[in-house]
Amino acid sequence: MHIPDGYLSPETCVVFGAVMIPVWTVASRAVRKTLSVRQVPFLAVGAAFSFVIMMFNVPIPGGSTGHAVGGVLVAILLGPWAACIAVTVALVIQALLFGDGGITSIGANCFNMAFVLPFVGYYVYRLISSGSPVGSNRRIIAAGAGAYVGICIAALCAGIEFGVQPLLFHTANGQALYCPYGLNIAVPAMTGEHLLIFGWVEALVTALVLQFLQKQESLLVEGGIS
Amino acid sequence: MYKPSHRKSDFIERSILSALAFLKDATLSEEYANRRGFLQSLDPRIKTISFLAFLVTSISLKSAVLISALYGLCLILVIFSAIPVGYFLMRTLLFIPLFSLCIVLPTLFSAVTPGEPLWTFHLFGINAIITRQGLGGAVLFVVRIATSVSLVVLLSLTTRHSELLKVLRFLGVPQIFVLTVSMCYRYLYLFATMVENIFTAIKSRVGVVSQQQQGRQIVAWNIANTWNRTTQMSEEVYMAMLSRGYTGEPRLLSEFHAMPRDWAWLFCALIACAGLLYRGHTL
Repeated sequence: MHIPDGYLSPETCVVFGAVMIPVWTVASRAVRKTLSVRQVPFLAVGAAFSFVIMMFNVPIPGGSTGHAVGGVLVAILLGPWAACIAVTVALVIQALLFGDGGITSIGANCFNMAFVLPFVGYYVYRLISSGSPVGSNRRIIAAGAGAYVGICIAALCAGIEFGVQPLLFHTANGQALYCPYGLNIAVPAMTGEHLLIFGWVEALVTALVLQFLQKQESLLVEGGIS
Repeated sequence: MYKPSHRKSDFIERSILSALAFLKDATLSEEYANRRGFLQSLDPRIKTISFLAFLVTSISLKSAVLISALYGLCLILVIFSAIPVGYFLMRTLLFIPLFSLCIVLPTLFSAVTPGEPLWTFHLFGINAIITRQGLGGAVLFVVRIATSVSLVVLLSLTTRHSELLKVLRFLGVPQIFVLTVSMCYRYLYLFATMVENIFTAIKSRVGVVSQQQQGRQIVAWNIANTWNRTTQMSEEVYMAMLSRGYTGEPRLLSEFHAMPRDWAWLFCALIACAGLLYRGHTL
């Protein structure tokens, strides 16, 4: 889901950068208000955790492997605002140091994966698990559902961002200047693979990790910074 | 020495390879950043600003020829910065641009991109038409992506990662964010090594996990265990910070010194960008 440089027009990049600036500002304030000085390294190490989740390959049906993004898992464990910063940090390092995801498209990538993904997933989790005890099965189902819905909505956003490019940015004779596929192709392509494959990987990993944490370290499940 | 087989289904080997690829990329980048070369000798702030200007120019231009000129400049800089051209091309062209080329191929045809027919042929009994608009859009798309990826990778290869992260502070990014990014980057090595050790240990004990369900549980348990270690480690990191005099206000050391040649390079880079944008505007 990492959008590289060149897929989106400069105007789109500027818009998403502008959208993310208030989000990052509010996230910084929310985290500063709730995070003690003691927890500052926790945020940095949490960001490193959200980076390495992608190194864990999971067996998927069909004999291949895939990896989870972990945005909703981090949101459940750290709270959505702290997850927003942690995932942003991971995305900045990936883009700047490893060329994974674009620098100019960092605003759009952060919008999809550091804002939409953790917030949608976290509130779906909260909605389903509302009132349930920490060790309940409902929380595990809620985590899986949150992860699935979160990543699919984030993929839908990426599909729309791709799909509007040929509509808005083309030459006079109709030649596409950036991503050449319109909404009718980009949206089904992005959402289809996440609805059918990657969403289930994300849901399964998130639910299983929460199940293990419930059994072994239930205090960590309650440690979110809301 | 560890020799991976290339079975796609073996999640243990794939995880080990992911961790090793990260460590290899990071180590190689530091090695190239420490070489004596043109870009390595520039002030990291000036170099980053000039590369951001190149990047913005590459995504703003609407002519594949002009973007190719920028790509040519990028390759010249690769040569003058003592980076092996073969390694650079493999690193930059084999993944994102090749993937982009594959996904853009259908847009060559009139079924996806209607327009002026350029070439008509029969494929599996179907009359296939490549359009001028489809070909032009596909070439522009792939050239732009290859150039953008090359510029970012070249910046990353010729700048020490710790310096590149410190440059964020000079670009106006809040201090607490830069501190978090810098701390996070340091722990990535530790975590990547941890992932490699975990899966090497699993492999040495169980070999290949044939049942998918069991494999997924192993992965989930290890992610949970990594999170557990994360929380313990953050406590130790905080104690280490306190012992070094941390009072809650982060301070970053600024060691950059811009020389006249750095400013001369920035001037030339900005002139080149302005020239390309002007030429693109008048085409």
